[in-house]
Amino acid sequence: MPKVCLYFELHQPYRLEDINIFDIGNKLDYFEDRGDEINRVVFQKVTNKSYVPMLNLLKKLVYEYPDFKFTFSASGIFLEQALRYSPIVIDLLKSLVKSGQVEVLAETYHHSLAALYSKSEFEIQIKEHEELVKEIFGVVPKVFRNTELIYSNDIAQLVEDQGYIGTLTEAVDRYLDNRSRTQMFVGKTKNRLPLMLKHAQLSDDVAFRFSDKSWKMYPLMVEKYLDWFRSYGENDYINLFMDFETFGEHQWKDTGIFEFFLEFVKQSSENDSTEFVTPTEVFQKYQKPFLKLSLDRDSLPVYDVPEPISWADVDRDLTAWRDNDFQYDTLRLIYDLEKDVLDTKNQEIIRDWRRLQTSDHFYYMCTKWFEDGDVHAYFSPYKSPYEAYTRYSIVLADLRERMI
Amino acid sequence: MGKSNNVFMVGWEYPPNNSGGLGVACQGLTEELANQNTKIKFSLPYNVSSPVAHMDIIGCTHPNWKNNQKINGTYGPPFFAYSQEFAETQPMGSIENFGYSFDISKLRKFPESEFEKRVNEYAKVVSQAGQAFRDDFDVIHAHDWMSFPAAEELKRKTGKPMIAHVHSTEFDRAGLNSGNQYIAGVEYAGMNSANHVIAVSYYTKNLLVHKYGVDANKISVVHNGISKLNTPPDFGNHHFAQKRPVIVFMGRLTMQKGVTYFLDLASEVLKNIPNALFVVAGSGDMYHELLFKTANANLSASVVFSGFVRDKQKNKLLDRADVFVMPSVSEPFGLVAMEAAQRHTPVIVSKNSGVGEVLTGAQMIDFWDIKKMSETIVGLVGDKQYSETVVNEQLKNVDSQTWKGSAQKVKRIYEKFFLGK
Repeated sequence: MPKVCLYFELHQPYRLEDINIFDIGNKLDYFEDRGDEINRVVFQKVTNKSYVPMLNLLKKLVYEYPDFKFTFSASGIFLEQALRYSPIVIDLLKSLVKSGQVEVLAETYHHSLAALYSKSEFEIQIKEHEELVKEIFGVVPKVFRNTELIYSNDIAQLVEDQGYIGTLTEAVDRYLDNRSRTQMFVGKTKNRLPLMLKHAQLSDDVAFRFSDKSWKMYPLMVEKYLDWFRSYGENDYINLFMDFETFGEHQWKDTGIFEFFLEFVKQSSENDSTEFVTPTEVFQKYQKPFLKLSLDRDSLPVYDVPEPISWADVDRDLTAWRDNDFQYDTLRLIYDLEKDVLDTKNQEIIRDWRRLQTSDHFYYMCTKWFEDGDVHAYFSPYKSPYEAYTRYSIVLADLRERMI
Repeated sequence: MGKSNNVFMVGWEYPPNNSGGLGVACQGLTEELANQNTKIKFSLPYNVSSPVAHMDIIGCTHPNWKNNQKINGTYGPPFFAYSQEFAETQPMGSIENFGYSFDISKLRKFPESEFEKRVNEYAKVVSQAGQAFRDDFDVIHAHDWMSFPAAEELKRKTGKPMIAHVHSTEFDRAGLNSGNQYIAGVEYAGMNSANHVIAVSYYTKNLLVHKYGVDANKISVVHNGISKLNTPPDFGNHHFAQKRPVIVFMGRLTMQKGVTYFLDLASEVLKNIPNALFVVAGSGDMYHELLFKTANANLSASVVFSGFVRDKQKNKLLDRADVFVMPSVSEPFGLVAMEAAQRHTPVIVSKNSGVGEVLTGAQMIDFWDIKKMSETIVGLVGDKQYSETVVNEQLKNVDSQTWKGSAQKVKRIYEKFFLGK
């Protein structure tokens, strides 16, 4: 009976409205003044298609199956927008956390790439996020998950230094070296930070391939899916990490995704074929303060990741956000502004600067597979990566104008 | 007066269905010619929905042209002479059916026979229409290469004299590239058949003599005019980016217009004025390449792209600009420089341009001389008095460069060469 850790990411960026050069210096809010209401519209659409139906389903499952557990994290800007546009989402999340069967993770408030650019900014955004999570849910997360599961030895050290008991990331073959992805690992850090690695195949079977008619396993039925779990034993962790929007947004309702999930939890619970776990209960066993009872983390294999990895695209690296000159230059510029921005002590400027750090802005500029009209295009509010770049660059020009 | 001042013009585009300067020039010139007692029949390769008062527009469409591009609710020419600005917002015909609705920048990639076909079809229709009016005109006046075969055909059929009016040549448009041999050939043949040639500048005349081998005595220069503004310019920095100097490029994003030099210029100026903001206004086949160059040069927060601007936005940008730069590699005229000058913006123009011959108050600099252009910008931005002196000189130039004057010159050419006056 393998252990299953279900983790869902909740995030919505603040997309830029249709800013043009004539707005530079004219005190326009980048995210809402144009009247596009793009952020409200998207948030409410996804609320109806995904958040509300899935949260209601999870609520029902938590109630019916006391052993069912899951984990989520929500970016600060997701929570902000939920409070504003869809408070019902917050209410549902709160009641789930209250059940005691749901764990909340830490992340950066602005879903940023700060871990790669600025230690101080990384720490501030974690703090800000912690405060908001505490205010809304009354809990302080113990486990951290970085934006898009971006991870490296250096980042692991930053996370460990922040006092987290473990973190999540992707199992990338080039660093696994044929070792089993379902075992526990530790990071290459001073105190050997415990890690849980995503099971990409079983996660993506649901998140990406579920409704893919050209997939040879289509249609995915719960029996078949659980059958694939049988090869794993009780010391294996099947870590199913995915976007929350998998349910109802990436996979629409009519694909049967909700019924699939319901049936998955039902059969797992009733047949005792799996044991649901959350990261904290797993990592807790390796905690020093409980040394007498604790398991020895020195015995765990080291996951040595010198170059950053992520859960994105087939490359599982940073190239979705940092590959072409658009991305390199805008990232350089936004983080170069750190000192100037903070020195203004102007809360609005600081807030906008942070919102501009959200990884999605750089994702929209990705030209890797633009010609194929791939997954990037699906997730982008703009017509092309060129438009994403020109808008962002106009906004950068304005941000600088505000600091003159 | 009567018959002695009648002209059949062969056109290709006319506002609002124009892609650039050609249509604007045809409008300015014909309006003033009409004021000076010239009766004009003006053929276009499309049907206009609202006629103009000062001349008869004759829509000359070929039955093969079913899918012309729609602009502002009506149909335009079978392809746009120099621009893809409209094309970007309009659905394109597909390559398979050759929908007769491509702009030239796309067509360049297709066999030359595709231009040829369209232009020859236009020639057929125009010469038929023109023959029907043969008693109503004395001179055939054709505007640029797309119209030359039609004018030549009409000349053959009617025996009337022909003027080839050159607003732009393939040599200019090709920038530093090789250009389209078919188009250059049409230009050459047209000028050869013409009884007289009008060039929009001495720069162009020189080019016609040296690159096309046209007899200098056969060419007259008539500079374009500029229409008076209906409302006074609203110049000043209140429009946007109030706190820093704004330097503007406006034009098609092509080699011809020297837009890559504008990026090099930005890097150079920023060394002296770190807050300077550079605006690239326009669209064109180099757009994506320019964006990458901008990012690669670490200019993402200093060079911004507005896309194609027109009407109010265009005026606002020229009103706001602290310096306007036209670093063209080869520019027959360059009306936009006059428009910038009219809006009290100091102008830097490439030495390879015609407009500098009349906008003498502007700063003339080689398009490749980044250092000198940069120094001039730094000077204009830093020295209010210098800037004002330039602006005032330019305004004098603008005031004296009227379409009325241009039309008078054209009329004199009609009279001198064809009407024995």
